Amino acid sequence: MTQTSDAPDVLVEVTDLEVYFPIKSGIIFDRTVGHVRAVDGVDLSIRRGETYGLVGESGCGKSTLGKAILNLEPPTAGSVVFDGTDIASLKGEDLRHARKRFQMVFQDPMSSLDPRQTVESLLLEGLRAHGLDTDTDATRARLRELMSDVGLPVAALSKYPHEFSGGQRQRIGIARALSVGPDLIVADEPVSALDVSIQAQVINLLQDLQDKLGLTYLVVAHDLAVVRHISDRIGVMYLGALVEESGGAELYDVPLHPYTRALMSAVPVPDPQVEDTREQILLTGDLPSPANPPSGCRFHTRCPWKQETLCDTERPQLRVVEVSGASDSHRVACHFAEKIASGEIQRHEVEATITTPGFGGPDAGPTAPPEAYIGV
Amino acid sequence: MTQATQHSSRPGAGSSEPLLSVRDLRVTFQRQGEEEFHAVDGVSFDVRPGQTVGLVGESGCGKSVTSLAIMGLLPGRGNRVSGSAIFDGEDLLTLSPSAMRDRRGSEIAMIFQDPLSSLNPVISIGRQVTEVMERHQGLSRKQATPKAADLLERVGIPDPKARLLNYPHQLSGGMRQRALIAMALACNPRLLIADEPTTALDVTIQAQILALLKELVVDTGTALVMITHDLGVVAGLCDEVNVLYGGKVVERGGRHGLFRDPRHPYTVGLLNSIPRLDAARGDKLSPVPGSVADNLPWTAACAFAPRCSNAIDPCTAETPQWEGDQVVGFRCFNPMGGTR
Amino acid sequence: MDDNTGPSRRPTLGDRRKERIDALATAGTVVDEPGKSLLRSAWERLRRDPVFLVGAAITLVFVVLAIISPWIAPWDVTANPLIDKVRPQSNPVPGPEPGHLLGADDRGRDLFSRLLVGSRQTLVVGVFATLLGLLGGITLGALAGAIGGFVDTVVMRIVDVMLSFPALLLAFTIASLAREPSQWTLIIAIATTQVPIFARLLRGSMLAQRSSDHVLAARSLGVRPRAIVFRHMLPNAMGPVIVQATLSLATAIIEAAALSFLGLGNPDQRQPEWGQMLGLAQRYISEAPHLAFYPAGCIIVVALGFTLMGESLREALDPKSRR
Ligand SMILES: Nc1ncnc2c1ncn2[C@@H]1O[C@H](COP(=O)(O)OP(=O)(O)OP(=O)(O)O)[C@@H](O)[C@H]1O
Ligand SMILES: Nc1ncnc2c1ncn2[C@@H]1O[C@H](COP(=O)(O)OP(=O)(O)OP(=O)(O)O)[C@@H](O)[C@H]1O
Ligand code: SF4
Ligand code: SF4
Ligand SMILES: [Mg+2]
Ligand SMILES: [Mg+2]
Repeated sequence: MTQTSDAPDVLVEVTDLEVYFPIKSGIIFDRTVGHVRAVDGVDLSIRRGETYGLVGESGCGKSTLGKAILNLEPPTAGSVVFDGTDIASLKGEDLRHARKRFQMVFQDPMSSLDPRQTVESLLLEGLRAHGLDTDTDATRARLRELMSDVGLPVAALSKYPHEFSGGQRQRIGIARALSVGPDLIVADEPVSALDVSIQAQVINLLQDLQDKLGLTYLVVAHDLAVVRHISDRIGVMYLGALVEESGGAELYDVPLHPYTRALMSAVPVPDPQVEDTREQILLTGDLPSPANPPSGCRFHTRCPWKQETLCDTERPQLRVVEVSGASDSHRVACHFAEKIASGEIQRHEVEATITTPGFGGPDAGPTAPPEAYIGV
Repeated sequence: MTQATQHSSRPGAGSSEPLLSVRDLRVTFQRQGEEEFHAVDGVSFDVRPGQTVGLVGESGCGKSVTSLAIMGLLPGRGNRVSGSAIFDGEDLLTLSPSAMRDRRGSEIAMIFQDPLSSLNPVISIGRQVTEVMERHQGLSRKQATPKAADLLERVGIPDPKARLLNYPHQLSGGMRQRALIAMALACNPRLLIADEPTTALDVTIQAQILALLKELVVDTGTALVMITHDLGVVAGLCDEVNVLYGGKVVERGGRHGLFRDPRHPYTVGLLNSIPRLDAARGDKLSPVPGSVADNLPWTAACAFAPRCSNAIDPCTAETPQWEGDQVVGFRCFNPMGGTR
Repeated sequence: MDDNTGPSRRPTLGDRRKERIDALATAGTVVDEPGKSLLRSAWERLRRDPVFLVGAAITLVFVVLAIISPWIAPWDVTANPLIDKVRPQSNPVPGPEPGHLLGADDRGRDLFSRLLVGSRQTLVVGVFATLLGLLGGITLGALAGAIGGFVDTVVMRIVDVMLSFPALLLAFTIASLAREPSQWTLIIAIATTQVPIFARLLRGSMLAQRSSDHVLAARSLGVRPRAIVFRHMLPNAMGPVIVQATLSLATAIIEAAALSFLGLGNPDQRQPEWGQMLGLAQRYISEAPHLAFYPAGCIIVVALGFTLMGESLREALDPKSRR
């Protein structure tokens, strides 16, 4: 670990994190025939009290990275140092006790709440698991406090999850995460399942809680506008790795990586004037399969700035570049970032190529033919 | 009462006869043991050739049901449809099922949100596209196949000849949606209804599909009804926008007018609750409070009243009436702004 | 690159049964529309499903009759009031007459009463075999699903091998191993064929639960593993198992009848049982086909009742089979 005097107060230090999922096949005994490289070498650090936003397309490994940081998905390699302890190497009871300090909020507010438990028993569960429910009165007070923190009436405690609307369920999910008093909360797409008007309520709630409780957030989302709105720093992910990292405003003003630029230009802005005038960088083709990532720069199959040399042979590392407007905390993984920024290299057409046949979409993993139609 | 503002850009006003003219469309669901439920509650709008009309609103406001009713695709039992949907001089709502089937796919086509479940998983992409042409244009399979390849190429599927042989699960989400668009375009429909065609897709893929749709409308003069919950998509694509709330159109306007000078408090609320990529960080969003669960019935109130910051007395006592015409207007007792 | 679709070999019996079980296993985890769990909306669908209602009605009538039959049966099933009318050569099976709705069997016992009371044994065998199968299956399935790893592999291999045998053959083999047939060998034999089904189902259902968000949420909260299994995974995994139990009752009844027919059931011939009655009717199949017809009809109707109920339950639960 680096330890310089003016180093910011780092809460989480992720080094060379990898999560590979084996692809199994075989009739009697499963053989591993390959790996889905969901997270493929990620370095990042999250400072105490900040909100770190992670964006990227579906299937780029954002959720897996979030889970791996919490050791909910055991990392294949690398370390995650949380406040001095390596979470990635913890196991069993040690890990279980450590969980008190880092919690998760899930995307789907319905499926992440056990339908058979009341809100009260959902919230008590965490307290119980960490021996925080010794005093009945104090526990009751704590539950009330949690409910008021997330803006729900105390009467909600005796209800079941299905009796609430999506936004309210997400509040319950947040209350559950808060119940054990964590320092870090990893929120995986906390608002993407919600309606626009409800999204804003939950975003505001997350910000209020951060101010009140001094929480540190890692927010994972595919919506760049949402991430930009709540994050101090943003990491852009592509195919299992970070391609750019910088402060939120700076990322918007001085995007350095071709992928970031394309992503930024693809986000629709609710303003016809802006929509009519802005330049769009349309990418061709789809995200390649993480089971068989392209050589060299992962983005070279779709990059409108791709060069004949280096791009398809050498994998670019995150580095600080000398570009006006870019601070020294702005890192980018592109061989030609400087030349692209200065305009020395121009954008060109890209021939679309199809990704691997059998690519079943981001969540499908390796897919079999649709089973519903094999008559029984 | 105030006249509805005359927005400067009146999209397609009077430019041509409407291709589709929906009037007072009502869809009522009756579930056993439950009260009647008006999913669509008197919706009217026009679509002209070459025009893109947006229907926006939150989940459950009746967008999909509107489109399904127009297409005659609502499940047969448990619902009542009234009003009219005049397409080319004929009321689609009174057509016989077989006459409607002939229109569907040839003159009117629809694209759904989930491309995987709208494609048949056991038939190759090529067959699915050619089948449409065989059915509606009387082509033989031999004649249809090269046309299908052309179509796939036109919607931006690389290596179209090889893709014809693929099955839906072998394509990515974006490619599937393209294949679905190709099927919808197979018979050069005059009206295309797209129900959240990009919601399941990534932004970069969404941008590709939206660009494709835009190009199609311009190239072929197809009228497009775009259903979405994303005001950003509307801003980039639609000539005219209808904002739906609780089954009613609460505001309508041209693209520029509506975004510059929204009148209905719900439209304003929506615009204020969206985090914008081009806005600075830190500003608090101002969300619309509450949720649709708080809605009042339209029959004796404004459904939005419990969530409305502008609500006044009549709002909880009477139904606000439509002020304006088929091009711009709103439904509100106490609208915002509107001085220009 | 391999680009072929479709299965490369023809699915075997075991494959098809496995697929069917696995489809059911994942069904319980799907959340349907917001605000309702799948189970709940499935129930709402069922209430209006005529197939389900018919099945449930048949089942209900059968169960009620089975319970009260000793009291409502007009004759004692072991008595032979019509023995005088039995003429082995000219009239082996006395026909209907006042007081004997369906006549009598070859020993002069009242057929109607025997049919009525015969439902009891059928029900007992069906229910006990299914319960026992459920117990075994749940134990194995829960072990495999909760512990995973090596235990899982071993258990599932055994289960898969068992699944690849036709159930009746397996039951027949087990039942004929017993030194002397009895109702209990019947129950055990049939239960054995049910065990692998329930085991695979529960294990699949538990695995689906294990990767579900709410279990992940409990893990991330630091809840103890045992509490996760017993509070979150098992209760939520039981839905499909209960559906399967309904279907299994139907197969158990048919298998019980089949084994009794083959003489592997209760050796006490005085106590009526439909399969055994069917077996005895064989001898007179040309002179008195009704003797076979009634028990066969009962078996079919009752099995149909459970099957209709179970199938509509399964369909209501399986998001793929509706739309
Ligand atoms: N348990 C798993 N087993 C095998 N592959 C997996 C598993 N979980 C995720 N993957 C694969 O890893 C890749 C990254 O998945 P991940 O869920 O992290 O993506 P994501 O960026 O969160 O996408 P989304 O926006 O769709 O949630 C995907 O290709 C996915 O198919
Ligand atoms: N077949 C049906 N039976 C009963 N109610 C229905 C049926 N289909 C839709 N509804 C109800 O009608 C209302 C409008 O539904 P609709 O699908 O049009 O919403 P939507 O605007 O398309 O929302 P989303 O953005 O979620 O797609 C909802 O409240 C829904 O529950
Ligand atoms: S390294 Fe090359 S291919 Fe990769 S982003 Fe930079 S220019 Fe594009
Ligand atoms: S009618 Fe009243 S309650 Fe409804 S939107 Fe207008 S001001 Fe608000
Ligand atoms: Mg994810
Ligand atoms: Mg819809």
